[in-house]
Amino acid sequence: MMRRHFRYSAGLTFCLLLLFSGSLALAEDTVCLQCHAALEGRLSAPVSAWQTSIHAQNGISCPDCHGGDPTDFAMAMSPARGFLGVPKYGEVPAFCGRCHVGVKDDYLNSAHGKALNSGGPQCVSCHGNHGVQQASLELINPTACSRCHEFGRAAEIKTAMGETDRMIAGLRTELASLARLGIRVREIEGEAFALRNDSHRLFHTVEVEKVRKETAAFQQRGDGIGGEIGAIQDELGDRKLIGVGVVGMLLLISIICFLIRKTYQQDEDAQRQSSED
Amino acid sequence: MHKRLLDFLDVRLGIRDILEQNLTKYLLPKNVNIWYTLGAVLLALLSLQFVTGVLLLVYYVPNPAEAFKSVEIIMNDIPYGWLIRYLHAVGSNVIVIALLLHMLSVLFMGSYKKPREFTWISGFVLFNLTLVLCLTGYLLPWSQLSFWATTVATEAAGAVPLIGDGLVRFMRGGAMVGDATLGRFFALHVMVLPAGLVALVGFHLFCVRRIGISKPPFGEDYAPTEVADEFVHEEHPGGIPFFPNYAIKDLAVISLFLGLLALLVFFAPGLFIPPSAFEPADPFTTPAHIKPEWYFLWAYQTLKIFPSEFLGLAAQGVVMTLLALLPFLDRGKERRPFKRPLFLTCYLLGILLFVAISIWGHYS
Amino acid sequence: MSEILESNQQRRTFLGILLGGVGLVLAGVFTWPIFRFLAPQAETEGGQIRLAKNEVSVGGAHFFSFQGLPAVLLQPQAGDYIALSAVCTHLGCVVKWVADKREFLCPCHAGQFSMEGTVLAGPPPAALESFPVSLEGDQVVVG
Repeated sequence: MMRRHFRYSAGLTFCLLLLFSGSLALAEDTVCLQCHAALEGRLSAPVSAWQTSIHAQNGISCPDCHGGDPTDFAMAMSPARGFLGVPKYGEVPAFCGRCHVGVKDDYLNSAHGKALNSGGPQCVSCHGNHGVQQASLELINPTACSRCHEFGRAAEIKTAMGETDRMIAGLRTELASLARLGIRVREIEGEAFALRNDSHRLFHTVEVEKVRKETAAFQQRGDGIGGEIGAIQDELGDRKLIGVGVVGMLLLISIICFLIRKTYQQDEDAQRQSSED
Repeated sequence: MHKRLLDFLDVRLGIRDILEQNLTKYLLPKNVNIWYTLGAVLLALLSLQFVTGVLLLVYYVPNPAEAFKSVEIIMNDIPYGWLIRYLHAVGSNVIVIALLLHMLSVLFMGSYKKPREFTWISGFVLFNLTLVLCLTGYLLPWSQLSFWATTVATEAAGAVPLIGDGLVRFMRGGAMVGDATLGRFFALHVMVLPAGLVALVGFHLFCVRRIGISKPPFGEDYAPTEVADEFVHEEHPGGIPFFPNYAIKDLAVISLFLGLLALLVFFAPGLFIPPSAFEPADPFTTPAHIKPEWYFLWAYQTLKIFPSEFLGLAAQGVVMTLLALLPFLDRGKERRPFKRPLFLTCYLLGILLFVAISIWGHYS
Repeated sequence: MSEILESNQQRRTFLGILLGGVGLVLAGVFTWPIFRFLAPQAETEGGQIRLAKNEVSVGGAHFFSFQGLPAVLLQPQAGDYIALSAVCTHLGCVVKWVADKREFLCPCHAGQFSMEGTVLAGPPPAALESFPVSLEGDQVVVG
């Protein structure tokens, strides 16, 4: 029955869509999602929010943060299976910091982190929870920051970091276009990714001076990556130069052959005329 | 020296006679046109595929765990590996272009008609064989594109009634595209299909030479002739010697096509190679925008147009069968395109339909 | 008529030479990448290889590939390592380690080598090549 249903829809959508949803289901079909999607309100909201998140894109699912057993309906939320449930407000940095270790350190040492127990902001205050998106400088904005303090210092940090961000974005665009040609740039992409993470991590110190100082070092690292990219692009330029030569020679051969053909054509016409005369 | 070598071979093999019969005294019709060079172009491009294919085989590893990496090594670490690989991958697209032009010109000039049915059918099978070569070759780099294009292409066979499921399983060597699929596609791509191709090209050329090349149906002195019911080798007295007079034109057009191939390889290799070809295969993540190669878009879109996949597949089968059997259906002796208005209309509409459905498939 | 034929013949000779010239260059341009594609990759001369100390027991032998050729690592006494080429200097067979005699025997023509690689008996004309060994933590660095 399943199979026939599959076949019928496949006729309409050339089975791609279904294969797509099928494979998603394969990766995601935990009992957490099955149950919570059917619940209402507060209890089902995390499912749809998570589906749009950067975590979902990278295959980080419920149990990776909340623990528990995603394969067993009855025991899914049993502490015996490592279920952690919802962290309290003050526990959130430790909760997220199990994976995001570097950021956690910087955060805990910062003014934000030190104010944690007196109602200071933690991870979720800015990044949100289940629907978390890839971090961008847009998270630093007057609305968000002015909930607690003036935007001024935050704006300064944002400006300083913006330059680094743009540089890294530029590098990553160029790397993507190289990868598009089958060039192996995974290592350089890794360097650029690390640079991006280090620079974003830096924000969590929320110290204007420190951000300014380190930005120079980041620029230097960016220049290094840019140099590696430049070397590859030079090589690609050389290939194009060879290409011009090869295409040129082939066209030249073609033209010469057509010219030779023309002389034969004249011979053929002359012979035909003389035989007709 | 040159003459002594010829003497030596002539005494033992009668080589002069063979050369004369097939080169200098092999006469082509006076009004032979440039479209007649496409066969030679295809021969040259196919030879290039053989050479680059064997070279790739030196470093390629036909194992799902290593295939992608080995192609990456060819592209990045082996000197000029990128050139060999691009020539092979882009070359296949140029071959399909040349094949389509070759077939369209044969159709336009009605050269497929009696007594050249075998030439047409062997050519038509060659066309299909080439497409299967393209399809099997697609899987070998074990990229996202490879994996999912093969999944989709083999899944289509599931629409065949009764045996569909078994057919899909058999083609894949299992329920899903996997290790077993790579093994059988590799064997097909590097051994079975090329051997079949060589044999069939031989038969195709044999047919061309045996029955004689067809006269282009143009010009004042062309008149349709009654085809005899016994074997007649069509001669073209007073025609153009194949060598050197026409061979040089073959060479000119071959260089032109190689120039086109080089242009694509050096300046726009990405034109025929989508980004997902550079990501390793991941059986659990279907890439968002997966489309078949441009020459399969028409098939892809027809499957979508029809209310069920089976009907779509059946329609494709009917069209292909009609094309294959065309010389037996279209039996009039008239070959001049402008004296065959019905055929010409179908011909033009057919091309238009092919282009339109392909574009539709591309943007859908 | 004959003038036309003659002048065409001359043009063909000229164009033919031109065609041959360009063709020759192009043939070179195509042959070179194929040669480079197939040419063996340069061996990393003087490259080092790291092996875990526990791969070879005292009195034992561990065979490994070094600079593309078979080599062997020995530990005559605890903490004392020797690395030798395992290729017999006679005709290129790979020698075997005879643990109870603590020497190498070439299975091809019974050449015998000591632990240090010197020839003890048989036809080999020279000692086995020996490679420098140094210790780094729990690793042995050869080369």
